Amino acid sequence: MIYVVTFFAHIGTIRFKRYCDKEKLKAKMMPVPRALSSSCGTCVQFEADDDYEFSYESEELEEVVKLIDGEYVSIYKA
Amino acid sequence: MKKNEKLVIIIAGIIIGIIASVLVVFGNPANMGFCIACFLRDIAGALGLHRAAPVQYIRPEIIGIILGSFGAAFATKEFKAQGGSAPLTRFVIAFFVMIGCLMFLGCPFRMIIRLAGGDLNALIGLVGFVLGIGVGTFVFLNKGYSLKRTYAQPMLDGIIMPVIQVIVFALLVAAPAFIFFSEAGAGPGAKHAAIAISLVAGLVVGVLAQRTRLCMVGGFRDLFLFKQTKLLLGFFAIFVSALVTNVILTVVTDATYFNFAFAGQPVAHTDGVWNFLGMFLVGFGCILLGGCPLRQLVLSGEGNTDSAITVLGLIVGAAFCHNFGLASSADGPTLNGKIAVIIGIVVVAIIGVVNTYCKKEA
Repeated sequence: MIYVVTFFAHIGTIRFKRYCDKEKLKAKMMPVPRALSSSCGTCVQFEADDDYEFSYESEELEEVVKLIDGEYVSIYKA
Repeated sequence: MKKNEKLVIIIAGIIIGIIASVLVVFGNPANMGFCIACFLRDIAGALGLHRAAPVQYIRPEIIGIILGSFGAAFATKEFKAQGGSAPLTRFVIAFFVMIGCLMFLGCPFRMIIRLAGGDLNALIGLVGFVLGIGVGTFVFLNKGYSLKRTYAQPMLDGIIMPVIQVIVFALLVAAPAFIFFSEAGAGPGAKHAAIAISLVAGLVVGVLAQRTRLCMVGGFRDLFLFKQTKLLLGFFAIFVSALVTNVILTVVTDATYFNFAFAGQPVAHTDGVWNFLGMFLVGFGCILLGGCPLRQLVLSGEGNTDSAITVLGLIVGAAFCHNFGLASSADGPTLNGKIAVIIGIVVVAIIGVVNTYCKKEA
């Protein structure tokens, strides 16, 4: 399953990418997809199991979505 | 989906490029169908914030961009009042970004339009601009630079900027005695397309830029950080379509819209060092702001109050440029302008260092 995590600031993206690397999650930083937001910020896309329990906490965390059948489905929004 | 996004941004770029060139035919200054910096400077003059008689006019293109973005964001439920991310710091950076723009005589948008008109000075500006973005990206952004997060704001806060545009537009149409307008032949401020044409052009660009997130600075940031060229394709499309339109106009009309040279360019000078340093400051400042002046206008229309403050910083910067002799002219840069650009680079660097290397890890 592909997850996309957006942040209020680029520093949040950097920190979460480090977290993914530490957790050995396959992750990459990229621009926020247009379908998700009109903001031109950055985000992290990572792969995990369908039932992955998202426990990462940060003041900069904005939204977490799952990519299901080509559509972004929100599972957390600040 | 990705292919569609690319196609949409290319089509938007082509339309904007054509609009930029055609606005000159309708009366805007040469190679200045659009220039966010110059047009904000003209508005500052019209409102009496500076008294440089050649550059005073309320430019409907700016009003149109903000209202177009506002309309598009509202219609698609993307309008969101938000802000609170170091607004005063953004104001200061924007102030100096304008000083960089008026050293070069154009924002990144006009830099592309100048290139499409054959102005080779813009190529030197582009090198400085890209280097400024590179320094901002690799030395600061990628090392943890942050002006902290935005927060939801009251709805009214987000709507104020679009409302101001309506009021300013009313002042343009009513033209009361306290608004300053450059007299015919006085300079760039006296050259403009008809109000309705300029407004519609601005609205179209505002809608397209909101839907596609067009941003010159974001384009290079994405290229440097993610090797992604999507946003840059939009500006490449603007360049190509404006270039083709200029060449066609030169062939089919008596006027010259394309002049491949350094010298003799409209509203430009040939001092390469200061064209380079001016745009270096613009690229450096804009990457720390998170977007070019066009993008700031669009975001302010979407309800982003930090971007609204940034636009105000640009306007005040423009007023200072003309009140204190910082702006360049066709004769070249001024000593005051050179000093201000150096101060600007230092101030922006200090802001970068403080917000990257001198803060506690959250």
